[in-house]
Amino acid sequence: MAIKLLNTLIMIAVALSITGVINRTRAMLAGRKGIRFFQHVMNVRLQLRKGSVYSTTTTLLFRIAPCVYLGAAMIAFLFIPVANLEPICSFHGDIVFVAYLLALSRVALILAAMDTGSSFEGMGAAREALYGALVEPALMMAMATLALFCGYSSFADIFSMAQELDTNLTIVLLLVAYVFVIIMFIEAGRVPVDDPKTHLELTMIHEVMCLDFSGIDLAMIHIAGWLKNATLAMIAANAVAVVFCFKWWFAAPLAVLGTGIAIGVVESLRARNKLSRNITYILTIVAMSALVLLIGFLLIQNIEI
Amino acid sequence: MLFYVLLAAVVAIVAIFLTPERKKVWTATAITSLLAVGAIALAVYAFAVGEVKLFSFRTAIFGYEYFAVDRLSALFLVIIAIASVATLIYSRGYLAGYFGRYSSAHFSLHYTALVTMVASMMCVVLASGGFSFLFSWELMTIASFILILFEANRQETRRAALNYLVMMHIGFMFLVAGFVMLFNATHSSSFDAIEYYFKLGNPLPLFVVLFIGFGMKAGLFPMHIWLPEAHPAAPSHISAIMSGVMIKTGIYGIVRIMQAIDNDTELLYTIGLIVLLSGIVTGLWGVIFAAMQNDVKRLLAYSSIENIGVILIGLGIAAVGHAGGSDLIGMCGMCGALLHTVNHSLFKTMLFFGAGNIYSKMHTTTMNRMGGIAKHMPLTAALMAFAVAAICALPPLNGFVSELFIYIGMFNGISDGHEVLYSVAGIIALSLIGGIVVLAFTKLYGVVFLGSPRSHEVAETQEVDGCRIGAMAIPAVFILFIGLFPQYAILPIARVAEAVTASDNTMVIDHMMPTLQTMSLVSWVLIAVIVALFLLKRRAQRSRTITEGPTWGCGFTTLNTKMQYTGESFSEGLENIGKPFMKDTVDGRTIDKNEIFPTRHSYDIRHKDKVDSLLGRWWMALMHRLNEYIMRLRTGRVNSYITFALVFLVAVLVLTLLGIM
Repeated sequence: MAIKLLNTLIMIAVALSITGVINRTRAMLAGRKGIRFFQHVMNVRLQLRKGSVYSTTTTLLFRIAPCVYLGAAMIAFLFIPVANLEPICSFHGDIVFVAYLLALSRVALILAAMDTGSSFEGMGAAREALYGALVEPALMMAMATLALFCGYSSFADIFSMAQELDTNLTIVLLLVAYVFVIIMFIEAGRVPVDDPKTHLELTMIHEVMCLDFSGIDLAMIHIAGWLKNATLAMIAANAVAVVFCFKWWFAAPLAVLGTGIAIGVVESLRARNKLSRNITYILTIVAMSALVLLIGFLLIQNIEI
Repeated sequence: MLFYVLLAAVVAIVAIFLTPERKKVWTATAITSLLAVGAIALAVYAFAVGEVKLFSFRTAIFGYEYFAVDRLSALFLVIIAIASVATLIYSRGYLAGYFGRYSSAHFSLHYTALVTMVASMMCVVLASGGFSFLFSWELMTIASFILILFEANRQETRRAALNYLVMMHIGFMFLVAGFVMLFNATHSSSFDAIEYYFKLGNPLPLFVVLFIGFGMKAGLFPMHIWLPEAHPAAPSHISAIMSGVMIKTGIYGIVRIMQAIDNDTELLYTIGLIVLLSGIVTGLWGVIFAAMQNDVKRLLAYSSIENIGVILIGLGIAAVGHAGGSDLIGMCGMCGALLHTVNHSLFKTMLFFGAGNIYSKMHTTTMNRMGGIAKHMPLTAALMAFAVAAICALPPLNGFVSELFIYIGMFNGISDGHEVLYSVAGIIALSLIGGIVVLAFTKLYGVVFLGSPRSHEVAETQEVDGCRIGAMAIPAVFILFIGLFPQYAILPIARVAEAVTASDNTMVIDHMMPTLQTMSLVSWVLIAVIVALFLLKRRAQRSRTITEGPTWGCGFTTLNTKMQYTGESFSEGLENIGKPFMKDTVDGRTIDKNEIFPTRHSYDIRHKDKVDSLLGRWWMALMHRLNEYIMRLRTGRVNSYITFALVFLVAVLVLTLLGIM
C-alpha cells in the first residue's frame, strides 16, 4: 500500500512539474529570464478562486463536461506505474481502458465546445475529433508492441516483466517511447501539431475549445491536461527506463525532464505545421508505430527460432 | 400444433383490426408482450436445461423439421423480446401524429405487420433450418417491407422499400441455394446437418453461399447499400427494430454456421479469416460513411453497418484464435461479438427512437437545419447523450465492455504469439473505427442538440410524450446494467459462447472475472469522482459571482447562428480520406474566394456510396433491357394472349411426356 501511495505521489509530482520544465526550457532557449517554475500552478490556484461566466447558449452539459474531463483523466492517471513501483489500480486489459478513458475525456470536451455554438470552437472540436480518431491506432499499436514483448496487457504487468528483455529489443523500446512522446505532443496540443501560444483563434485546436471556460472550469481543464501529460510521459519514460535502469528514481525524473525538454526544444526551434499537413503528420506516426510493431515482431520471432 | 398457431395468428390479426384506431397500439403491445414473455420464459428454460425441442412437423420439400431452442437462440430471443416491446410502446406516441392522415385499416396493417415481424424473427431463431427457417425468414422480410412502406405516399419511401425487397430476395435466393445444396448432400436441411456437410469435403462453397445470404440481411460490405436507403424511409420505430434486431438475424445465421465447424482447424482458420477481413472492411467502410453523413437516420444506418463490422471482427478473431488452439482468444472474441450484438441492439434502438423524437417535431432529419434542440427537448437530449456515449464505447457503459473483450482477445493473440498479424490488423481496424465513431457521434450530437438553432423550426419543438421517453429508458436500464456490472452480464454470454465454440468457459471466466470485477469497481469510482467534482464545483461556485453572457465571438460582434460549424464542416477533414470511396452530388455552389460581398448562395452536398452506383448501375440497365423484351409480349390483343396460354400448355404437355417435369 505504501508503494502504491508513493507511486501516486510521484505521479502527481511529475504531473505538476512537466509544464514548469517546458516553460523553463523555452525561456532559456529564447534567452529570457522566464516565469517561475510553478507559475502554472499559481495560475490555476487563482482560477480556482474566481467566479465564472457561462454563455447563454450552453446547456447543463457544458457545466458537467469539465468534471467528466478531469474525472476521466484522474482515473486514467491511477493506472500508470512509475518503473518498479505499483499503480493503485491494475487489471488485465487496462491499457484499453486507459485509451478509452482518454477518449471519454476527449468526447466531453468536444461536446462542450459544440455546446457554445461558436464557429471557432466548432472548428477546434472538429479538428480535435479528427486527430483523436487518427491517433488512436498509433496509441493502440504502441501498446500492442509492449504487450507483444511482455505477454501481458496491463501496464503494471508489462513493465514489471519488461526487465528480463533481451538487449536486441532496446532500439524497439526506444522507438516505442518516441511514439508515445509524439502522441503526447498531439494529445496535449503542442507544437508541431498545435500551438497553445498562437495569437489567432482560427489556428488553434485544443486552446480554442476552452475559450468559453472560465474560473473553476478552466482550472479543471488545466489540471486534467497535466494529468494526461503525466500519464503519457510516464509510459514513455518507463519504456526507456526498461532499457537503462528500471528504478523509480530514474524513471520519474526522466519523464519530467525528457518530455519537458523535448517539448520545450521543439517549440523553440520549429514552427507549427500548416493545418493541412497535420493529418499527414499524424498518419506518419501511425505508420511508424506499425513499423515499430512489425520490427518488434520480427525480432521476437528471431529470438525464438 | 400448427393449427393452434394459425388460429392464434388469425385471432391476433382480427383483434388488431377490430380495435378502434387509437387503441390498436395497446392490442398490438399486448400480443407482443405475450410473445416476449413466452420468449423470455423459453430463453430462461433453455439457459437452465440446454437444448429443448419444442415440436416437429413434416414439410413438403425438406422432410421433418422441428422448432427448438438452445442457448444461442435463447440469447437472440431475449434481444428480440426487449427491443420489440420497447418499439411497440414507442410507436404509440410516434404514430399519434399520423392519426387522421391515414385510414384505420392502414394502422391495422402496420400493427399486424409489426406483430408478424416480431413473431417471425422469433421463429427464425427457433427454426431448425430448411423450410421452416426460410419461411420465417421470408415472412420477416415481407413484414418489414410492409412496415417500411408506412408512408407509401412518398416516392422515396416506395423506392427505398422496393430496393430493400429486391436486395433481400437476392439474399434469399442465396439462402435457398445453400439449403438445397445442404439437402442434396446430406438429405437433411437442418443447421445440424451443416456440421456433417462440412466433414464431407469441400465445405467452402456452402459457407460462401450462406455467408452472402446472411450477409445481405446483416448489411455486410458490399451488400450494405439497402440500409442507408431503407432506414431514413421507414418510420423511426421501424428503423429501430430493423437496425437493432432484424439485421442481427444475419449475425445469428453466421454464428450458426460457425457453430457447425467442429475441430476442423483448417476450415475454421479459412472461415475465420474471411469473417475477420469482411468485418474489417465493413466496419471501416461503415464508420467513414457514417461520419460523412448529414442526415441523422442515414448516419445511424451507416453506424449499424460499422457495428456489424465490429461484431464480425470479434467472430473472426474467435475463429482464428480457436483454430490456432487458444481457447482464451476464441472465447474472448466470441463473448465480445455476442455481447456486442446485445449491446448494439440496445443503444441503436435508443438512438433511432431519439431520431424519431426529433423527426416528429422537426419534420426533417437533415442535421444542418437543427441545433440547440437540447434546450427544447431536455429528456430526449439526456437519453441521447447516454446512448451516444454507449455507442462510442466509452467507459463505464456497455459498448466498452464488448469492445474490451474483443481487444483482450486480440491482445492475447499478440502476447501469446498466436496469430499476431491478424490480431494486429484487427486492433488497427478496431481502434480506427473507435476513433472515427467518436467523430461521427460527436458530430451528430453536437450539431443536432447543442449550439444555437440553425432554422426557425427548432423554436417550435417541444419534449415528446412520456411513452416515447419511457420506451427510450427501457434499453437505457440494460445499458447501465451491462456497463456497471459486467461481471454478472457476462455469465450468460459466456455460456452461449461456450455452446457455440464447444469449448470450456471456466478458464475464461477465471481469467476475466478479476478484470471485470475491478473494472466494475473502477467504473463506480469514475462516476463517483465525476459526481463529486460536480458537487464540489457547485458548492464552491455558490460563493462566487456567476454571470451569463453571449458566447465569446473572438472580438467579432455581429455573430449569427449560420456561422456555426455545420455537420458538413465538422467532418470536412475526413473527406480527404474518404474521397476515393464516395461520389459527391452537389447542388448549388460555394462562395467564391474573390466574392468580397457574397450574395445569397444555396449549397447542398450529398456523399453517395460508390458501391451504390457500382451495383446499382448495371442492375438498373439490365432490368430496363429485360423490361423492354417483356413489354414486346404485351400486345394488348386477346388472341395473342390465348396463343401464349396454348404455347404454355403444349410446353407443359411435351415436357411431361418426355418425363422432364
